[in-house]
Amino acid sequence: MSKPTDLHTDQPKQKKKIHRHITKYLLERDTLFATLWVFLFIFILGSIPLNLGVINPIKLSLKDFDSNDMSYSKLGKAENTPPDKNIVVVNIGYLDREGLSLLIDKVASFNPKVMALDITFDGPKDPYQDSLLSETFRKNKNLIVGYTLQFKGKEADTAYAKDKFFEKVNEYAFVNFFQDDISTFRYVEPFYEDYAKKKYKSFSAAAIEAFDADAFQKFEKKGEHKLLINYSRRSTHYLNVNFDDLMSYDESDSSIFKNKIVLFGYVNEDPNDITDKKFTPMNDRFYGKSVPDMNGVYVHANIISMALEKNYVKKLPSWANVLIAIVICWLHMSFFIHYYLESHIWFHLAAKIAQVLSAIFFVWLGIYLYDKYRLKVDLKLSLLVIVMAVDVIYFYEAWAVWMHKKFNYKTVFKPHHH
Amino acid sequence: MKKLQFLILCCLFAGMLSAQNSYMLYSFKGNVSVVENKVESKAKVGKTVSANAVVKVSNGAAVTIICNEAAMFTFSKAGSYALNKFGDSCTVGNHSVSANYVKYVWAQMTKSSGSPGSNRKAYMNTVGAVSRGLPNVWVDSRLDTINYAGGSFPISWKSYEEAKEFDFKLYTYDNISTPIFSTVIKDKKKIDINSFTDKINPGNSYFWTASIKGEESEEYKTLNYVTKEDFEQVENKLKSQGAAFEAKAEQAYRMAFMLEDAHFLSEAFQYYTKAATLDSTNALYRSTLMSFRKDYELK
Repeated sequence: MSKPTDLHTDQPKQKKKIHRHITKYLLERDTLFATLWVFLFIFILGSIPLNLGVINPIKLSLKDFDSNDMSYSKLGKAENTPPDKNIVVVNIGYLDREGLSLLIDKVASFNPKVMALDITFDGPKDPYQDSLLSETFRKNKNLIVGYTLQFKGKEADTAYAKDKFFEKVNEYAFVNFFQDDISTFRYVEPFYEDYAKKKYKSFSAAAIEAFDADAFQKFEKKGEHKLLINYSRRSTHYLNVNFDDLMSYDESDSSIFKNKIVLFGYVNEDPNDITDKKFTPMNDRFYGKSVPDMNGVYVHANIISMALEKNYVKKLPSWANVLIAIVICWLHMSFFIHYYLESHIWFHLAAKIAQVLSAIFFVWLGIYLYDKYRLKVDLKLSLLVIVMAVDVIYFYEAWAVWMHKKFNYKTVFKPHHH
Repeated sequence: MKKLQFLILCCLFAGMLSAQNSYMLYSFKGNVSVVENKVESKAKVGKTVSANAVVKVSNGAAVTIICNEAAMFTFSKAGSYALNKFGDSCTVGNHSVSANYVKYVWAQMTKSSGSPGSNRKAYMNTVGAVSRGLPNVWVDSRLDTINYAGGSFPISWKSYEEAKEFDFKLYTYDNISTPIFSTVIKDKKKIDINSFTDKINPGNSYFWTASIKGEESEEYKTLNYVTKEDFEQVENKLKSQGAAFEAKAEQAYRMAFMLEDAHFLSEAFQYYTKAATLDSTNALYRSTLMSFRKDYELK
């Protein structure tokens, strides 16, 4: 039985032992070269011009996966964000053009600063209704109307506007996003510049410009490239007014709209109605099969909120992500080599435990940085290298022994060790 | 010194007053009203109310309120709620994403994957199949009885199924075994009364049914074909009930409303149109006409 004093002396010893597990082989040439081989493997596999993921269900299911999405669906991120008092969403429901005209005129009577229609008009309908809406568009000088930006030409670099039926409109802005409908809407391109240097403004950019010149200046600067959308609010965090509500308002209710951005769009909370709904990181399911969760008008609202509140997401550059992955791989490789050589019987168990714990830790780190500092760190490569490191050790051992025989390469691995 | 104390007291009092919570009606469904300064008014989305207001929620209704532009809470049970008693709901919950992450990972790691045998309740909760037994065609209760004197007006219905063809049948009031008029409606869910007026006679009542083609409906709706004379009597009676200085548009709108109430839908539509035409700047006339068109599939 140990003496009580031994307990105290055991603790530093234990710490030292764990420390040794990681650091003993840290500066060995083998650790550095094995790390290099992990990245070489990733590079070689990634360079194969065949889509090998076609039969890989894991790769297919993780195609659109981002561990940060978990923070919205499972960890309560954005649940307590206060509603945006600058934005009011008006649900157009199934209103026809006459109804829209009435709706816009009614809202206009309450003096909003900006009105923006997340609606496109692809051609003539009933002449009477068209003339009513046209007149509404003509007289409201703070109105932005949506259209679809399309591309043609061999290299699809010639942009043209679709769905611009009405002529007398204060401003048109494109409402579509440059991505497919089945992927998560993570990015927005606030502007598009075609081959002739003609600049096209997005719907949200136009609304921000009309509402707040300062915010627009920053948005314009940031929006030179694709911008990561900082989703801060679900549909329930915007004031939503429908036709019947609106018709019951009188002058005493004008404060609801006065000097605000009013977005008109189709809103439906029914999960079975996916009309104009997009997949967003706020989807209740962050992996696997799901249904789109957010009406397009709320995606625009989130972009506008982000610009007005200037809470953009900062993205770590690719080189920094690679650097992090190299360091992580190096540390793990040192730990794995230690077990591989000195406690081989426990190697697989220790490696698997280390992989699971590392995955949990790095996912948390990514979520923490995103939540706390709005810093997006792509840790996919880091997680991949942790997984690959174990398999690469076997290859590296064979390679190092062969190199030792041929060129007297100095290595800690012995022939037929495994 | 006393003046200074009084000033401090006043400042404190003013501070307390200004610290009162502000509330906004964020959304509601059903019958919700607000009593503020002893005046009761219907709830309106976006309306700001003071902490002294009382929110009345009737059966089946619910209201969501935002406090201090930050915290949200909902009243979903019937009753009267004095907002000053809900100050504690104004506190925004403080949660840590990191703590939730640890809880989530632990919950997932310790959660049994489960199987249908071990948790029947969870696994037998899928829809399974569509249900049958209810009529597959739904007719708005406002079309349950139609009084009709003339003009174009559609009889419409909705279908729970993706059917393209529907049977419309018309029966006399005393014989519901053999229809006097039967037709198949393709790609739409309505039929204009005008299209079969040659089969019916003024002064008589009829039954009609709508169903998916090949299926039978036992929901008989009534169509009263009123004579011109009878309708004129009704019309004159309603006209005479107006105020002394009633403008033409106002009269048309009132007539339309009363005729709709009396199930003279075709005639009500003509009067709503007249009201909106006579006073095209009146948002109420325009919106009512639009809602009427939408409700009765008049496009």
